[in-house]
Amino acid sequence: MSNSWRPGRGLLWLMVLIALVGIGYFVYQTVLAKDTFGPGELVVYSSRNENFVRPLVERFEQETGIRVRLLSGNEALVNKLIEERTNVQADVYISNDAGQLEYLRLAEVLAANDSAKVAAVPGMYRAEDGAWVGLSARTRVLMYNRDLITEEEMPKTLWELADPKWQGRFMITRGGNGSMVAHVAALRAHWGDAKTLEWLTAVRANAGAVVNGHGDIRRAVGGGEFAFGLVNNYYFHQQLREPTNNNVAAVYPDQEAGGMGAFVNAAGVALLRSGPNPVNGRTFLDWVLAPEHIAEFISVSLEVPLNPAVAAAPEARPIDTYLVMDLSLRQLGPVWADVRQLIEQAGLDLNL
Amino acid sequence: MCVNGRTAQGSSPLAEVATKLAAGGSLPRKHRIGAAGRRVATGRWLALWRGNPPNAAILALAGAGALLAVIPIAYVLMRAAQAGAARWLQMLDSRIPALMASTANLTAAVTAAAIVLGVALAWLVVRTDLPGRRLWQWVLALPLAVPPYVGSMAYVVVLGPIGWVRDWLGRPLVSIYSFWGAALVLVLFTYPYVFLIASAVLKRLDPRYEEVALTTGMSRRATFWRVTLPFLRPAVGAGGVLVALYVLSDFGAVGMLRYTTFTTAIYYQMGNYDLSGAAVLSVMLMSLSLVLLWIEGRSRERLVVHQAGGMHRPPPIGELGGWKAPALAFVLLVFISAVLLPLGVLMYWTGTGGTLGPRFWRYAANSLLTAGPAAAMAMALALPVVYLRARHPSTVSRLAHRAAQAGYALPGVIVALGLVVLFNRYLPALYGTAVPVVVAYVIRYLPQTVRAGEAAISVVPASLDEAARSLGLSPWQASVRVVWPLIRPGLLAGGLLVLVSALKELPATLLLRPPGLDTLAVRVWIEASEGYFQAAAPLALLIVALSILPLRWMLRDVRS
Repeated sequence: MSNSWRPGRGLLWLMVLIALVGIGYFVYQTVLAKDTFGPGELVVYSSRNENFVRPLVERFEQETGIRVRLLSGNEALVNKLIEERTNVQADVYISNDAGQLEYLRLAEVLAANDSAKVAAVPGMYRAEDGAWVGLSARTRVLMYNRDLITEEEMPKTLWELADPKWQGRFMITRGGNGSMVAHVAALRAHWGDAKTLEWLTAVRANAGAVVNGHGDIRRAVGGGEFAFGLVNNYYFHQQLREPTNNNVAAVYPDQEAGGMGAFVNAAGVALLRSGPNPVNGRTFLDWVLAPEHIAEFISVSLEVPLNPAVAAAPEARPIDTYLVMDLSLRQLGPVWADVRQLIEQAGLDLNL
Repeated sequence: MCVNGRTAQGSSPLAEVATKLAAGGSLPRKHRIGAAGRRVATGRWLALWRGNPPNAAILALAGAGALLAVIPIAYVLMRAAQAGAARWLQMLDSRIPALMASTANLTAAVTAAAIVLGVALAWLVVRTDLPGRRLWQWVLALPLAVPPYVGSMAYVVVLGPIGWVRDWLGRPLVSIYSFWGAALVLVLFTYPYVFLIASAVLKRLDPRYEEVALTTGMSRRATFWRVTLPFLRPAVGAGGVLVALYVLSDFGAVGMLRYTTFTTAIYYQMGNYDLSGAAVLSVMLMSLSLVLLWIEGRSRERLVVHQAGGMHRPPPIGELGGWKAPALAFVLLVFISAVLLPLGVLMYWTGTGGTLGPRFWRYAANSLLTAGPAAAMAMALALPVVYLRARHPSTVSRLAHRAAQAGYALPGVIVALGLVVLFNRYLPALYGTAVPVVVAYVIRYLPQTVRAGEAAISVVPASLDEAARSLGLSPWQASVRVVWPLIRPGLLAGGLLVLVSALKELPATLLLRPPGLDTLAVRVWIEASEGYFQAAAPLALLIVALSILPLRWMLRDVRS
């Protein structure tokens, strides 16, 4: 190995070139890429798993010629959107939780949308002013590993998770997980503060593991680390399609006569107020509501479409075959921030 | 230093006036002062620079670099002060003690283990007849090219709850998501800091001291503990501080192995836009770093080891004898754990279903488009700081030089915290672009170009400038035509280091990136945290391959 080689003039020019390209890229992004010049671009914030969103936005790019800039994150994007209210960066927000979307609408971050396509969606699955619209359903279920536990042995209601006999046998996500927050908000609407707090405290103590996301739960339950876990139903569908570790089944909780019913949340799309590309934002909302694009929206995640005209995955139980909690998703918006405090109060960390 | 022991810094109005005069600017009417006053001001100004004031442009540029580098610290201190006593008490009562314990425990454990491992390996490679010792000298430094978040990913794949070991043996043997998991991974990918410094010192150690000890009847073991090790102590201290500073600033490894320290806590606090809470935690983390830097300052003072002059002989090489096989097994074990295993895992996943789609190259381009300008800017900003320090020594140039190195001990999460509000509130047009990311890289890695430039200019004697000027060149021409060509290679090497460090940077990029600007490091993080290792592996391999580049300079510095 020669020790005398040093970076020379060539590298200097290379660095100058890279710097110039960087500056050019910046000018392009701030000036030329807006929708006032041709099709331009669309900025999408998404708190959904990126692998669910990527095929959708790529198809949108192909069909419309609009370039999409995607920022994938988690429910923390809600805070980012509020913080950026005076300097709006995003046109569209894709979320897994209707509660977040209504919360943002109440914070006056979203734009009302009078599109006829949005108005055609049933009222319970969209905002009053069309600012957000739900696309797919996600039901909270208990997914279990059939090698470790039978259907008869499984708890049949969520309340049973507070029983010490399940100590160390199941998994839940961290308290701040978007689906978890919405679920607790729904339970609170049903049970009231005191009972919800009691349940959360006991579940926190009983849980064998508290993990970051539902993907961790489905892999661990499928792999036999724990007997069961509290997940959204499509994670169960996904685990069924794994080549190995797929001997899993799901209990839809609280189905007894007069029971609470399973909690169904909706994933959906919202339009931001004063986004950088307002025309493209509305175009995207109308585009995504077409049945073939809703099908794309759920093709990877295996969620259940809210629009009955779109076919669901064969593993999925149709919504009308089980008891659903009687609660409008719009009710989750006003309590979204409070619920996080309640969860922390119970000793369940929002973040790991 | 100043005449009469007085400092004339920019705070006094007289000095401000003097600055303007020296810069050749005209004074506004209200500042006009008498000829006598002007003489005093000029006199003080000259005294500050020992009669050798710098060019105004160089002074301004050096000042700009220094100011940029301290922005995050200034913002974090301000924000934490504004958080209010109630907030401080609440956090001191709840989160801070636990975080302090978890962070300090991890830092202490990793530093101690890295020191033991690094010194033992350096001893075996430099001072014994270990088979293949020349090869091991650089092979054992290779883990430096593996960012710890990549290493963590590999260990999750192998030792994770549903990793390979579980597939083979039925259970995962160890819990990787724990203190021990985080400590193991961090030791494996930081011990080379100690190994490299200890090897260099062992090579330069004059063997006569040990020979004297042996001839006076001391045993080999006693000689090692009582003669060799004291010589190594300052070097080991410096390497240990590097390791400890790294552990304090690490986000990727502890994040991936789910061990909460200050950095991850600050990161999540920022995700919730609780910036005051994040600032309070940042102040605690910065004070931990300050303690370490103070220790480093002391160990550097002691790094001046006085050795008698005379002919330098290479140190003798001891025979391992019966210990040869165990020693080789030990070195092999380290090599397998820190190099072969991570690279093997990455290659396996790349080979089975790794995707090199068009997006792969877009991520690589995004990395280069942010890291490249950052490297160029870091060189441009380091040059005036270094030049000022070397050619115009004064309190001002020392302060600028010190300030430009603030990023050395600043974790990425704190730099991001310091910039996010600045851009969102005061430079909104730049907020949604790559500019904040590039600025964060410059602040974090400016010390690397400053140190490289400093080393380069220290071997260019000032008499060379004077000779050029005596031949009729202006000071400016002398700098451009004589000094610049001589320090350019060193500065460029520093720029290359910045380029590679910025390619690997994770936390600040995650927090500051605009939509659509995912870098290689960010993608590795996102894919790996969702369990898509086959998507993360090719990107991680590219990062490792690029990181091997500057290792050549680091190794050469150690050898010479």
